[in-house]
Amino acid sequence: MIVLTPLRKFQFPVMAECISPDVFQGKSRDEIASLTVYEGNRRKKLGNLFKIEKESAENLKITIKGDVNEVRRIGSGMKSGEIMVFGNVGMHLGHKMEGGKITVHGDVDGWAGSEMKGGLIEIQGNAGNYLASPYRGSSVGMRGGRIVVSGNIGTDSGASMQKGVIKIHGKAGHFLGFRMRGGVIHVEKDVGDRAGACMTGGKIVVSGSLESILPTFTIDKMKPKVKIDQNEKVTGPFYVFLGDRSENGKGKLFASKAANPHLSSFEKLL
Amino acid sequence: MELLIKNGFVFDPINGINSEKMDIAIKNGKIVDSIQEKNAKVIDASGLTVMPGGVDIHSHIAGGEVNAGRLLRPEDHVKDVERKTAITRSGVGYSIPSTFTTGYRYSRMGYTTIMNPSMSPLEAKHTHEELSDIPMVDKASYPLLGDWWFVLEYLQKGDLEECARHIAWMMETVKGYAIKIVNPGGLESWGFGRNVHSIDDRVPGFDVTPREIICGLCKVNKMLNLPHTIHLHTNNLGVPGNYATTLETMKCLEDLAGDDKPVAHITHLQFSSYKGRDWRTMKSGAEEIANYVNNHSHLTMDMGQVIFTDTTTMTADGPFQFNLYNLTGHKWVNHDVETETSGGIVPFRYRRKNVVNATQWSIGLELALLIKDPWKIFLTTDHPNGGPFTAYPKIIAWLISKKARMATLKRTHPKAIKRSILSSIDREMSLYEIAVVTRGGTSKALGLKHKGHLGVGADGDVAIYDLNPESIDLPTDYKVVRKAFSRAKYTIKGGQVLVKDGEVLQEMYGKTMWLNVETDEPCRIPEEMKTKFRDYWTVEFDNYPVSDHYLRSQSPITVKASI
Amino acid sequence: MTIVKSVTCPVCGCLCDDIELVVEDGKVEEVKNGCAICESKFIGYRGEHRVLKPKIRQNGKLVDTTLQEAVKKSAEILANANYPILYGWSSTSCEAQRVGVELAEEVGGVLDNTAVVCHGPSILGIQEVGIPSCTLGQVRHRADLVIYWGCDPWSAHPRHVERYTTFAEGRFEGSEWKGYLQKFKAAAGRKKIKRVMKQAPVKNPPSIEPVTPSEPPQKMKKDGRKLIVVDVRRTMTAEVADYFIQVEPNKDYELMEALRALVRDQELDVNSVAGISVECLEELVDIMIGCNFGIIFFGLGLTMSAGKFRNIDVAISLTRDLNMRTKFAIMPMRGHFNVTGSNTVFTWQTGYPFGVDFSLGYPRYNPGETTSVDVLLRRESDAALVIASDPVANFPKKAVQHLVKNPLIVIDPHMNATSLMADVVFPSAFVGIEVGGTAYRMDHVPLPLKKVVDPPEGVLSDKEILNRILEETRKIKLKQVEAA
Repeated sequence: MIVLTPLRKFQFPVMAECISPDVFQGKSRDEIASLTVYEGNRRKKLGNLFKIEKESAENLKITIKGDVNEVRRIGSGMKSGEIMVFGNVGMHLGHKMEGGKITVHGDVDGWAGSEMKGGLIEIQGNAGNYLASPYRGSSVGMRGGRIVVSGNIGTDSGASMQKGVIKIHGKAGHFLGFRMRGGVIHVEKDVGDRAGACMTGGKIVVSGSLESILPTFTIDKMKPKVKIDQNEKVTGPFYVFLGDRSENGKGKLFASKAANPHLSSFEKLL
Repeated sequence: MELLIKNGFVFDPINGINSEKMDIAIKNGKIVDSIQEKNAKVIDASGLTVMPGGVDIHSHIAGGEVNAGRLLRPEDHVKDVERKTAITRSGVGYSIPSTFTTGYRYSRMGYTTIMNPSMSPLEAKHTHEELSDIPMVDKASYPLLGDWWFVLEYLQKGDLEECARHIAWMMETVKGYAIKIVNPGGLESWGFGRNVHSIDDRVPGFDVTPREIICGLCKVNKMLNLPHTIHLHTNNLGVPGNYATTLETMKCLEDLAGDDKPVAHITHLQFSSYKGRDWRTMKSGAEEIANYVNNHSHLTMDMGQVIFTDTTTMTADGPFQFNLYNLTGHKWVNHDVETETSGGIVPFRYRRKNVVNATQWSIGLELALLIKDPWKIFLTTDHPNGGPFTAYPKIIAWLISKKARMATLKRTHPKAIKRSILSSIDREMSLYEIAVVTRGGTSKALGLKHKGHLGVGADGDVAIYDLNPESIDLPTDYKVVRKAFSRAKYTIKGGQVLVKDGEVLQEMYGKTMWLNVETDEPCRIPEEMKTKFRDYWTVEFDNYPVSDHYLRSQSPITVKASI
Repeated sequence: MTIVKSVTCPVCGCLCDDIELVVEDGKVEEVKNGCAICESKFIGYRGEHRVLKPKIRQNGKLVDTTLQEAVKKSAEILANANYPILYGWSSTSCEAQRVGVELAEEVGGVLDNTAVVCHGPSILGIQEVGIPSCTLGQVRHRADLVIYWGCDPWSAHPRHVERYTTFAEGRFEGSEWKGYLQKFKAAAGRKKIKRVMKQAPVKNPPSIEPVTPSEPPQKMKKDGRKLIVVDVRRTMTAEVADYFIQVEPNKDYELMEALRALVRDQELDVNSVAGISVECLEELVDIMIGCNFGIIFFGLGLTMSAGKFRNIDVAISLTRDLNMRTKFAIMPMRGHFNVTGSNTVFTWQTGYPFGVDFSLGYPRYNPGETTSVDVLLRRESDAALVIASDPVANFPKKAVQHLVKNPLIVIDPHMNATSLMADVVFPSAFVGIEVGGTAYRMDHVPLPLKKVVDPPEGVLSDKEILNRILEETRKIKLKQVEAA
């Protein structure tokens, strides 16, 4: 196991895609310490920024102790192994991740799990905007894997999602699941405006209150329960809306009946 | 500065030199007979292939359309970046590289002259600003003139001379090099969302047909004695069954061929050679086209080869791009330009396992191989429409090696093999023929007297590749050939070594070529234009021309017109 | 006295290039053809307090210094910075912007323009779905339906309607100015009465009838060009429109979505959207589908209200959908005269239109991460160069706090809020008046800017100042490399 401890608080963005079990594997402590990172516009070595300790022979486990808010791209493209962070993490955590596990005991900044294909990201705190969403101009969203957030998440999460599961125990901001094509997003608490805008497939399940529903969604039925994955079903009852009609979409938006009395007017259309 | 390239195997098709071991001497930027070795920098080219610098006849590298494509596709850039070095500027690729990167990448492949084939006159300043930021190569641009209201009006009146004078004025005003015609009549129709579907459809709002535009401008081109022919993107491009339109277009120009010289260049021919009623039944029409071309001598063409990759399509053919958007549902840019033209952009991925894309890929190669005379059809991808220009070495490998073609064909959609006759073609091009389709032929078709050859007086633009024609068997060692053409051993421009072993040694800005067409009568056009200008455009007459300020370094070519 | 014709106006994205100036004794004395803003720019710029010498901060105070000193100090700041910001660019020439990109690349900084606080969302929207658009002349010649959405050209782009849209005379569509002019006069009269009544309270004020009823009026079926305005309040442009749609604040997204569904012949479950009845929307959609050439112009009302770039995404998507039925285009009403140019220049040199981060040695782009406001809010930068803009006056307070905490270089013809907080100040010549160059109109048409009068002695152009800083920075960087 490798333990990284930041030597100081970083002011400038630190690009550290090298912090990944796949990169560390088979390297000595010194080799790891001399991996390239950028701090602002200066090229540095990982050892300049972190205290690096090797606690066992295998490198498939990485532990980061302390806040690394400015450190970006940790676990980028990771395929196996495990990263544990005790503190807050910067942007692009687990970007293009394909396998393995990342656990954060703290908050993460934007674009966590973006373009993710597989693996598991668990966030004990809150997540920023664009969780599991693609970068500018791209329509390649999450294609597999699982993200679990204990706290709240920001806006524009799960955009263009194709596959996989995102589970949020807290609240979610606006434009959740924009242009979603597949997969499942479950939010236990409240969800902001315009959830599911332009979605053409997939499921968004809201157990809390849904701030508003787009006029281009149409009520389909009521359902007592909804399946999240093989292991989990959530009980409702739920209003089931279909949309988004602006895209002739067949996505499903589930909103808890109990938490959404303002949607009861739709019942007469059933 | 003098430079001597010694003992290379020289391929210079314009001068009939085929793999001869000889020296090339350059003095003051030009090829000379001989120089004193002791005063010169010497490159030992023994065992290497020496060719004139590459001349690309059709590659969208600059201007409003290209830049709109760049803006549209951050996801295309992020996967392909160029770091700043002590010599070079930073930039991005992939399918629509930023300007500096464009220059470096062409130079790394041994290219020294690039023709930018699409420039809306109103936005010509933009094109020239970008061309000025493309280092390493000489360049020129073709203004889009086929649907310009003045052309339509004078052709409607049947006043060819007046039309010719306007074109001459335009060439000088926007610093253009050749008459570009795109989907004639279709672009004007697209102003109201319509299109023309045959060369005899009437253009809405004007009493002319595409046939009249093509023939009219072809005659105008002759009256003006322009070095290149009209540069034509046919009607119905990208539509199944369009090979018939293409043949009709070719036929309508037959009568205009007085001598043996070509009178038109049909560009990215692959996109105009489809048989079938719809995409389901689409198949290759290359054989019919090639048969016609083999029996006629009034045309030149370029391939418009498709590469299996993610690219960005962009043409002035607004209605075609709209159809492509309908087909893909992808991002779509449309940009119509008042009084002149239109334009569109759609990202596109050509997939091996898609039967249509695989057939398109076959057609490009079929055309290049079935048309017997390499002086008629040249290598292009219609960058970035068929794929980025960085794929040229791949195409060279397919042209010189049946083995290379079959290796790719085997991996395509199984039905594609039956939709073309590519698998039955045995022809394998020689290095000499490659030199024709990548420099000699293009330069000749463009009427560039100082480019594309290594005769005395030519520009000192030379590409040296790490290929020994005596020891290599091209068809088997196609991978070596591919490598060699993607990383020039040396690229020399105006006698300066710009690239060595595929790395940029020094940055240098080439010249922008344009035509200064001299007509007999003093030109009355500015006066007439001034009165009409505000009715046609939303800018002032004084602010329309491309002034010298917009050209970093220029090379005007004076042409004496016969009117 | 000389008359200079065909001058391009360096004020807004309309870039009117038919301005005539009367110049006497090196001063612009008269402006013809221009709007009020244009006139005040050409005449009024001289009246402003003009600083003629570079300044540098010493012991907390800005004091005059030499150009050489100011250049040296600036180069030191930039060369030593770990993450500098180079911001502004929208009110200078493309020629200066080109040097700017080179400087940003040299110092590994973040290059950003004012789009970040105006039409940045438009660009993000375009990057998601593209944009069916055209040049303004195409609108003039062909458009029979013009929609202004969340913008008020009457006040922000005063000659837009006259030169390019409803009032302009085109080949296929004529000018509609006569009818509108009467309406405009009536509207102006009503506003005047209102104002007078406010000032002198009258007992039982006469009721003023609203101009447009909420249902589409009969005249929408008239021949010729039609003008529709969608906005949250009744603007001056709305007063002259054939039809005004008042959308509930921050509900543009819902409204566009509903229109999209209706264009696709889908039924809606709800009876009204954003405060407008669905019947009304259906009629609107029929008008849109029924036109020969329609265009939507949108402004900050759309880019800066809730939804931001998704609003633009949906507006463009609506335009895409409409193209299945007729010809339709859409265009952002860009503000600063060369904001389009800076996006254009940045894009051809780096691949990206704004928010370009060079810290890794190559261009990188991720608005939200690499945009100046976000960098400042996260307090990451350690120096800044601001050119031709005034972020202290219009950035969020927290961003400004971080901006002024670090070394700050300002290049601007004016002394503005930002230069008062700066460490180095370069006065520069007015682009388009004292120095020429190129600018891009909102529809991407490039136009030359003219030098009409000489700048005050010793005052250089933005381009020259940047070139000197670049040269000096290179020297320092080279030394740094040699030392390492």
